[in-house]
Amino acid sequence: MGEYKYIGKSVPRVDAAEKATGHIKYMSDLSFPNMLWGKIVRSKYPHAKILKIDTSKAEALPGVVAVVTWKDVPGLNGFGIVIPDQPVLCEDKVRYIGDAVAAVAAETKEIAEEAAKLVEVEYEPLPLVDDPIKAISEDAPKVHDGGNVHLHTKIVRGDVEKAFKEADLIVEHTYYTGRQEHAFLETESGVAKLEEDGTLSVYAGSQYPQRDQMQLSRCLALNPRKIHVVSYPVGGAFGGKDELTIQPILGLLALKTKRPVKIVLSREESIISYWKRHPMIMKYKTGVKKDGTLVANKVEIYADTGAYASLGGPVLNLAVEHACGPYKLDNVYIDGYCVYTNNGVAGAFRGFGVPQVTFAMETQMDIIAEKLGIDPIKLRKKNALRRGDVSPIGNKLTTSVGTVAVLDGVKETDLWKNKDRIEKVDKERPWIKRGFGFALTYQGTGLGIGLPDYGGAVLRFREDGGFIVGVGIVDYGQGTGTSYAQIVAEAMKCPVEKVSVILGDTDLTADSGPTSASRGVYTGGRAAVIASNRMMKILKEKAAELLSVSPEDLEAESGYFYVKNQPDVSISYEKIAMEFLKTSGHLPQTEGYFLMPIADIKIKDAFGLPHHIFAYSGHLALVEVNTLTGQTKVLEGAEVVDGGIVVNRQGFEAQVEGGYVMGMGYGLMEDVKIEKGIFKTVNFSTYIIPTVKDAPKRIQTVPVHDPEETGPYQAKGIAETVMVATAPAITNAIHSATGIRIFKIPATSELVYNLLKEQRKNESTD
Amino acid sequence: MKEFNYLRADTLSEALEMLEEFQGNVKVLAAGTDLVVRLKGDMVKEENILDISRIKELKGIYAENGIIHILPLTTHTEILEYPDMKTAAQILYDACKSVGSPQIRNRGTLGGNVANASPAGDTIPALFVQGAKLRLKSKSGERVISVEDFFTGPGRTVLKPDELLVDIYFPTMSDDEVGFFKKLGQRNALAISVVSVAAKLKKSTEPNKFDKAFVAFGSVAPTVIRGNRVENALMDSVVDSPEKIRYIAQLAWREVSPISDVRASLKYRQDMSINLLYEGLLELYKNGWNRRS
Repeated sequence: MGEYKYIGKSVPRVDAAEKATGHIKYMSDLSFPNMLWGKIVRSKYPHAKILKIDTSKAEALPGVVAVVTWKDVPGLNGFGIVIPDQPVLCEDKVRYIGDAVAAVAAETKEIAEEAAKLVEVEYEPLPLVDDPIKAISEDAPKVHDGGNVHLHTKIVRGDVEKAFKEADLIVEHTYYTGRQEHAFLETESGVAKLEEDGTLSVYAGSQYPQRDQMQLSRCLALNPRKIHVVSYPVGGAFGGKDELTIQPILGLLALKTKRPVKIVLSREESIISYWKRHPMIMKYKTGVKKDGTLVANKVEIYADTGAYASLGGPVLNLAVEHACGPYKLDNVYIDGYCVYTNNGVAGAFRGFGVPQVTFAMETQMDIIAEKLGIDPIKLRKKNALRRGDVSPIGNKLTTSVGTVAVLDGVKETDLWKNKDRIEKVDKERPWIKRGFGFALTYQGTGLGIGLPDYGGAVLRFREDGGFIVGVGIVDYGQGTGTSYAQIVAEAMKCPVEKVSVILGDTDLTADSGPTSASRGVYTGGRAAVIASNRMMKILKEKAAELLSVSPEDLEAESGYFYVKNQPDVSISYEKIAMEFLKTSGHLPQTEGYFLMPIADIKIKDAFGLPHHIFAYSGHLALVEVNTLTGQTKVLEGAEVVDGGIVVNRQGFEAQVEGGYVMGMGYGLMEDVKIEKGIFKTVNFSTYIIPTVKDAPKRIQTVPVHDPEETGPYQAKGIAETVMVATAPAITNAIHSATGIRIFKIPATSELVYNLLKEQRKNESTD
Repeated sequence: MKEFNYLRADTLSEALEMLEEFQGNVKVLAAGTDLVVRLKGDMVKEENILDISRIKELKGIYAENGIIHILPLTTHTEILEYPDMKTAAQILYDACKSVGSPQIRNRGTLGGNVANASPAGDTIPALFVQGAKLRLKSKSGERVISVEDFFTGPGRTVLKPDELLVDIYFPTMSDDEVGFFKKLGQRNALAISVVSVAAKLKKSTEPNKFDKAFVAFGSVAPTVIRGNRVENALMDSVVDSPEKIRYIAQLAWREVSPISDVRASLKYRQDMSINLLYEGLLELYKNGWNRRS
C-alpha cells in the first residue's frame, strides 16, 4: 500500500496517552455534586410469581431518597432490541435469578445496599425450566405465556436424505458449547442526571447510543430529544453492552429523585444479571464422497437464550447461516431453535452464534480429513466457497471471498512450515504429547438483509485546519476511533494528529448503527470517507478561489493545497479556516451516510439472512497435553485473516492476539455454570479466564485479502472472526496430540483427562 | 459489607495486649489478600480487625545454625528474592512461586497463608515436608508446635484467642535431599489449587533408596495432610523404575479424602493426587534423583 500515508500503518491509538496515564474518565469514574447511589433489588428465585412487593421498610431507612418498582415505570415496562419482553422492573413474575424487581437511590452506596435488603418481596416459586431441549416439549412449564420456543428457523436446500445415500462416509456427532461471559474490565456502570432544561443525561458505556435513546424513550415515556446518551468511553463490551443493562433503572431513579444517580455493578451482580454467549447443543450429520467432496449436511441447533429474547433470535440465525462453514454444500437441512429457559440471560457476544457452530463444523471437517486420509487444508480448499458460488443457504456470493487467500496464507505461517518437525512426544517427559490443529471460519459483516444498515459520520473543520469526525459507533477497545482518524487523515490529506474523534454521543455524532457485527470500520469508515470527500470539495473550491486558480489545478498534501507544477504556490488548511471564519463567521461541516449493500435474495423464514459481506480467517494451534493431568497448554498460535485491507497494522495484531486468547479461553476453560437456575461461578475466582501466563508465547498474524471495493480503502472488518475458530483449532490439536476427540467445550483439564482415561480403558480391553 | 472496628498494633507486645483484651472477637489482618475478600462477602463473624501489617519485629528472614527463620509478615516475593532460598528451601521456593500473581505475592505473607488455614494454601504442603515448626506467642507465654499439628479444619487452627504466630522455621535442605512442589490449578496464574503435592526425599547411600521421605497433599482433605503410606513405601522400596513409582504413587488414593466442588470433582482430585505425585517423582527419577539445575 505504498500510495497510502496512513492506511495500513501502525498509527498510535488516539486514546493511548489518556488510557496509559489513567486520565481517561470512564462512566464508573464520573461523579456529580449532590449525587445519589443506586442499588438494584434482584430476584431470589430463578422462576417465581411475585405475590407482593413491600418497600415501606426500605423507604423508612434514613438516607434513602427513593425506592422504585414497576409502578414507577412511566412508559412501557419492557426493553429488548428485537422484542421488548424484558421488564425494567418485574411486576408479577421473575424469570431468572438476576431479574430486577425494585431499585433504591440513597445518599451513600452503603445505605443503598442496606435499603435494597429491606425491600420485601413475597414469591411463589414456579417449576424450573433449565433444559433447552426439554423446554420445547408441549407439557414443559412456560417461561413466557407464548411458549418456550422464542424462534424456530429452518433452512432446507436440496435433498439431504438422498445425498446421504450417495455419500461414501457419514460423520455424525453431537456437540456442546459453554456459556461464555464477556468479562469486560468495567462492569455495567453509569450515571443518570436530570439537567436544568429537563433533559435526562444518561452516561453509561454501551454499543449504540442512539438505540439506547430510543429504548429509554419508550420505557420512560420521554421525547427522545430530551434524552442525551453518552456511551463512550467504555471499559470493554464484546457484545455484552449492545442491549440495555442498567440504563432504564438509572433513568427512573434520576427522574424520581431529580438528582444524579450512579450505579456501579459488582462483578458478581454483573455476571448474574446480564448477557452471556448462548450455550448450544448441536447435532451434526455430514455426508462426504471418498475424494472429500461434501455432499450433505444435516444440523439441529438448540440455543439456550435464558429468560428473555434480547438478540437470541438473530444469534440463532447467524448460527444457522454459518452452520455449514464456508463450504459449497447443495444439500442442507438446518433446523434451529432458540429456547427460553430460566438459565440467566444470553445475548450478543463477539462471534454471535458463529463460534458454536464453527466448533462443531470444524471438528466434523477434521474427522473427515482424518478418516479419508486427506490433508486438512486440501480438504477445505476442495470444498471452499469462492466468489460467484452459491452459499449453503442459497445466496450468491458476489463480494470478496477470502477462503483461498486464507488457505494459501496458512502455508506462509511459521507454525505450518514447522509442523512436521514438532516433537510429538516429549523425550524427557513422555507423558507430554504435542499436536497441531487448524480450523477455518467466516463471519458476516453487518446486520444482514432486512435490517436497516448504514454508517453515518459528521465532519467538522477546525480553526487550526484540522478536523473533528463524529461517529455514533463506540470504541470499546477495538481501536475503531483510531481507524476513523486514519481514514479521515488519508482522505483529507492532512496529518493524522490533526484529526480528533468523537464517538458514542447522541448530541455530537451521527447515528451509525450498532457497534456490533464487525461493522464499525466498514460502515462508519465508509461514511467518514463520504463526508471527507464532500469536505475536500468545499475546501478545494475555497482554496482555488483564494489562489485564483481552478480547483482541478490543486493537489492536497499534508494539510496544504499546492498548485500542480508550481510547488511554491500553496495555501494551508489553517489559512483556509481563517478565511472561512473571516468571510462567513463559521466553519464548514459535512455529513456522510452510507447504506450497506445487501445480498441478492432474502432467505425465507430467516430474518436478517443472508449477509452480503464476510470476513474469513484460518486459525492454527500448537498444543501440549499433559496426559497425566489433562492440562492443555497452547504453545503457539497463528491466524491468517481476510478482513479486507488492514487500516491499522498494530491494531490488527492486537485484535488477533486478543481474539485468539478469548477463543482459547472459550475452548479450554470458560463456562458460567448454572445449576437449577442458580449461578455457581459468579466472579473471577471461579469463572476462569486465561491470564498472560496461559497465553501462547507467540501468536503470528498474517493478513491476506480478496479486495472488497465497497469498503473504506477496501477494508471489511475483523473484530469477530479473529476469535471464532480458535477453539476448534485447539481441540483439533488436542486430537492430533492424543487421539481423543473433543465434542464439548470448554475442554477443561478434567474433561480431557477423563477422555484420556476412557481411551486407555478401551485400548486395554481391545 | 457490615461494619467493624479497625485496630492497629505497631509492636508485637501491643498486638498481644489487644488479642488478650478482645478474647477471640478479633480477626488478625496480615496483608488482607484473603481476609478482605471474606470481609466483602460478609463471611467474618468477628467485630474487630487487628491490623498487624506494620509490626517490624514480625518481618524478615534469617538463617541460624542451619535453620531458616521466616517471620510471618514476610511476603512471598521477599522469600523468592532471599539469596540462596532456591537451594536452601527449594520446595517452599517453588510453592511461593505458584502463589496468585506478582501483585498477590508482593502483598501476601507466609504467616497469613499459614494462619488462614485453607486446605488449598499453597505454601502449607511445602512447609509440611520441609519440617517446619511454628512459634506461637501470647502475653502469658509461648509454645512451639509442628506445622502439621497446627490445623484442625478448614480455616481452623489450634491458635488460642490470645496467641499470635510469630515465627516459622525449618532446617536448610542438605545436598542429599531432593524434592518438589506441584500444583494443579484451573490456569497458570491466579489459580486456587485443585490438588497440590509436595515431597522431600533424603537419599540413602544405596542407589534408588531413601532414608527419609516426606509427602504432603493440599486441597484433598479438610486440611493439608501428610501421606504416611506413600512415605513408608518410598523408604521401604528400591525405587528403580517408572512402574515402581507408579505403584507407590497409587497409594495416594488411600491418603486423600477430597470433595467435589465447582473447580473439580472428587474423582478427578483423587486421580490427580496420584498423578501429580507420580509426575514429580518420575521427573526426579529421570534426573537421577538429582535436583534440576
